[in-house]
Amino acid sequence: MKSMEIITDIDDPQPLFAQLIAQIKQAVLTGQVSPGDALPSIRQLANDLELNSKTVAKAYRLLERDSVVQTRGYRGTFVHPDALANSTVDLTAWVVGKLSETIAALRKSGVTDSEIRIAFGNVMNDRSKLGA
Amino acid sequence: MSTWTNTLFYVTFLSQIFLLSYYFPTKLLERMRYVLETYPPSKYPKLYPQPLEYYKMGQWGFKWVTRGILVLGFVILYAVIFLVDHSSFADDGYISEFWPALYGVIQFAPLLVLELTEFSQFKRMRKANTATTRTAPLRRRRLFDFVSPMLVGMTIFLYILFILFDLYAHDFVLDWGHDTLQRVAVLTVTNLLISGIGAWHLYGRKQNPHQTSDDRNKQIATNLNSFLYASMAMSIFFMAQVADDLIDMNFLDATLVSFYFQVITFLSLGHALRSLRLEDIDFDVYKSGTTATT
Repeated sequence: MKSMEIITDIDDPQPLFAQLIAQIKQAVLTGQVSPGDALPSIRQLANDLELNSKTVAKAYRLLERDSVVQTRGYRGTFVHPDALANSTVDLTAWVVGKLSETIAALRKSGVTDSEIRIAFGNVMNDRSKLGA
Repeated sequence: MSTWTNTLFYVTFLSQIFLLSYYFPTKLLERMRYVLETYPPSKYPKLYPQPLEYYKMGQWGFKWVTRGILVLGFVILYAVIFLVDHSSFADDGYISEFWPALYGVIQFAPLLVLELTEFSQFKRMRKANTATTRTAPLRRRRLFDFVSPMLVGMTIFLYILFILFDLYAHDFVLDWGHDTLQRVAVLTVTNLLISGIGAWHLYGRKQNPHQTSDDRNKQIATNLNSFLYASMAMSIFFMAQVADDLIDMNFLDATLVSFYFQVITFLSLGHALRSLRLEDIDFDVYKSGTTATT
């Protein structure tokens, strides 16, 4: 009944949900969990790690978005059949790349860094326009 | 009132006195002593959120309370043999099941207190736990990882069999205040309680913050199996009581109750002591500067 252990650290600068995501992806990449394996329920993992269940739910939701896990209704959460390929996709790196390209293009057009920051903040805060 | 039925009760009750107030308490005391000597607070500070004197006092209290109950058992046995007028105490003139039942409850009291003390010990451990890391297995805990489907099926089967047998014995009449309804209600409530506690063990919060996943799994398996055994024993005991009424063997009531207390203890506490061997538990997690990782 031995299985991989998830370790969270509240002193780690990385948010707790991000720690969960990173470790579940790592478990997929190292073969410690395989496609189709049942993952702990949100409540079980939250109780074991003494976390708010919303934190675990957020991690599972983001993993589901990335097709690393899939939720099968009342049966629970399982490792996605394409989890291995999808765990290698670093969404954060992709976002950083895209933003870097945009910022470089704006600077080239003569926009200052403070103008970019203000505009970025305005766009992020104006959720109604983004449809988020 | 035949002599052999009385003798049978005396022997069974003597066994109840010995088993619940001497044998098992002695086993528990030996375990406490072993832990205190083998894993002292100087090397395993996380195991002792309270000063050492507190544990020694608890050990002392448990020893003398159980020894006192042991003596009380002999006093009750003496009274049942020589002092109690059974014909005035019970309508049928047989030894009443009141004696083993009352004494059984008294015998269980220190064991229950010990169990409750364990919860407060874990609470103190959690409070004293300054580690910033938490660990959890990346595996779903499911009932059948810990108990066999056969055992669960058998428990459900015996529960249904008992209800049908009791109804059959009473011509399928289910009146309020009738023994059948009381027995069905007691067993149903007990089974629901057992299911609730079982689910809490499976999915609930980790009580001991330092316990490894392997040790926790062993403990869950032991507890769940004990619950199922206890439920089966209760169904069988109630069926025996019905059969007892059916074939007019009321003279066996007291013996049956005494035997039941012993079986329940053997299946719960006895099973736990056999399954959770101290040598197999990882005590290294209680050393300072360690965290549960396996």
